[in-house]
Amino acid sequence: MRITGNRLIDLAAASTTKGQSQVATSAGQLSSGLRVTTPSDDPDAWLAAQRSKLRQALSQGTGAAVQAGRDRLEVTDNALASLGDIVSQVRSLAVQGASDSYNPADRAALGGQIRGLFLSALDSANTRGTDGEYLLAGSASLTAPFDATGGYLGDASMRSLPADGGATTGVTIAGTALTRASGVDVLPLLDRVATALSANDMTTLGAALPDLDTAIKQISAARSGAGGAMNVLDQTTAARTVLEQDLQQTISRLVEVDTVSAASELAKATQALEVSRAVSSHIVAMLAPST
Amino acid sequence: MSDLLSLLSLGASALTAQSAGVAVTTNNVANANTPGYSRQRVDLESLEAAPLIGGVRSTTPQRLADDLLSGRIQTAAGSLAMSQAFADALAELSSTLGGGGATLDEQVGALFSRFSTASAAPTDSASRNAVVAAARDLVSGIQRRAADVAAARKEADTRLRDGASSASAIAKQLAAANTAVARSDDPAARDHRDQLAQQLGKLVGGQARIDHDGQMRYVLDGGAVLVDGGHAAALTATPDATTGLARLEVVDGGARRDVTGAIAGGTIGAGLAFRDQTIAQVSTQLDQLAFDVTTSVNTVHTANAGLDGATGRAMFTPLTQVAGAASAIALDPGLAADPTRLALAAPGAGPGDNRGALALFALGSQSVASGGTRTLGDAAIGVVSGVAVSASGARGDATRDGLVADHLAGLRDSLSGVDTQEELTNLARFEHASTAMAKFISTIDGMLGSLIDQL
Repeated sequence: MRITGNRLIDLAAASTTKGQSQVATSAGQLSSGLRVTTPSDDPDAWLAAQRSKLRQALSQGTGAAVQAGRDRLEVTDNALASLGDIVSQVRSLAVQGASDSYNPADRAALGGQIRGLFLSALDSANTRGTDGEYLLAGSASLTAPFDATGGYLGDASMRSLPADGGATTGVTIAGTALTRASGVDVLPLLDRVATALSANDMTTLGAALPDLDTAIKQISAARSGAGGAMNVLDQTTAARTVLEQDLQQTISRLVEVDTVSAASELAKATQALEVSRAVSSHIVAMLAPST
Repeated sequence: MSDLLSLLSLGASALTAQSAGVAVTTNNVANANTPGYSRQRVDLESLEAAPLIGGVRSTTPQRLADDLLSGRIQTAAGSLAMSQAFADALAELSSTLGGGGATLDEQVGALFSRFSTASAAPTDSASRNAVVAAARDLVSGIQRRAADVAAARKEADTRLRDGASSASAIAKQLAAANTAVARSDDPAARDHRDQLAQQLGKLVGGQARIDHDGQMRYVLDGGAVLVDGGHAAALTATPDATTGLARLEVVDGGARRDVTGAIAGGTIGAGLAFRDQTIAQVSTQLDQLAFDVTTSVNTVHTANAGLDGATGRAMFTPLTQVAGAASAIALDPGLAADPTRLALAAPGAGPGDNRGALALFALGSQSVASGGTRTLGDAAIGVVSGVAVSASGARGDATRDGLVADHLAGLRDSLSGVDTQEELTNLARFEHASTAMAKFISTIDGMLGSLIDQL
């Protein structure tokens, strides 16, 4: 085949241009750390990466919700722990007051002390979360769930969140855990004990002691429920963390550059470019005498 | 004496023949870098009855070109221009849709992620504001892409109008070149005509053929004749009565032929495919996505309750049709101004209920888009990935067409290209022959002089 000097120059120029393009591509990938910078660079990889990112976003949203739910349960558990301590104290004082060694004045003093504990218990039962919601109110979370007498105004609704394995788990404890629906009305019970001691009503006081035991168990059961839910949420978080790490690795593998192979590609492209330039110089020199 | 005079005549004709060779060689070297130039060759042929009354003469310079190869080059140029222009347009659209901050699918993901976050704190104003902000981002993201696509369509349309105008001008020049070839059969005119055919091919594709009469006919894809010998039709762009987009017509006198759907080569073919297929498809996908987001979210949202317990309120302004949905999608103004209207609770439940938020979050994993075949996130990815796949394919086509064009360029260069070294060798050959003939004439002249002196 007849090949002219101009053709040789064109081929050399094309080779140099191709070499420069390869160097620019390799250098760009190395400097950006990305193999896929636009969707058309590798549509299949981009598509798979975006799907992973979408799953990652949904998982992160769930993760934020789960974390908020767990925080809420922790605050709820603290409030219940505080309430449990108060009820235990009331029970101790009630047992003391039931003793024959106490006179009516002593019992009235104990009644006053329990009255103060009742107010603290009411505060604990009406604890609000960081977002201002009443934790034990069920879905009526913008209204204090327990009134001044300890009567429950909320509902039995529990807030749930998606948990590991497609299930859901409750992230709230409804105030019904402290009402007759779960055993006894805890807060009114404290009020009743305080009144009985103040009135030296030993019959009522005696009847209240088993109810106090029940109340303590109720609170303990509610705390167990909160603890169990926190465990489920922790497991969900652990699974989610693994999933998100896997997704991130997938995304990295799909769109990020392998530094070692990219550096190798850059070295090869640079060498090819140098060779192209050398060949171009030779061709020009070879043709020079005739031009 | 008469023999010597014959030899002198022989020498003169030989000198003329060698000079013709020098002239053709010089012309070849002078045009070594002229695009489309086909080298010429002068052949020498001996005259009969040499050496006494014979000699040598030069033939008419011959243009070394292959019309069949020229036709293939013109066709390949049309294919290459088409695939390159199409690949460039698709890559640009792909970058526009997939770049510039968060992608559409990321914005869809962010909205559903915010629904999930809000489900943990449905009464929290920060959570509600975050949902509204994410919804606003998605709305503006879809609207921006719709505007970008509309701008790309308009730009493609403008290019088509410009391209049609250029094609008409080149068609006229091609017809004039046909006339010039018919008049003089000048090799330079033939080269010029081939160059024009190639330029026309890059614009409109189609095929140039040279008939038995030596005239070139340029036929577009679909059969419309743009150039017939010395006569050229015009390629005009006329606004469509419905869409306002340019329709391309071959206008020849009073006859008009619509070739909008027929041209499948050159930059105009690429522009038509981009405008009428790619853009139309992306536009429809965006409209469908906007419609699906609006209807599916609204369906769940209206069934649930806001912070005030009220139900039946839409999150996005309801849309009545798919067409134009991407431009029309909007966040409900009441909800945008008052995020407490966000329906995150089940109807009848208290404000702290999160079942509405969970139902909205669950939409993110449900196949509610594209006729119930995929999720909204996948539909959003599909808008970009469809263009990206086409762009990648078109880039492959451009690479293939480039290789074909390069191969044909090599074949043409092999036949028609000027090699300066070869020409200089030819020049030396003709120069040496001329010098020898000059000496020969000088010798004969000396002999004649001696004879005359002796008379």
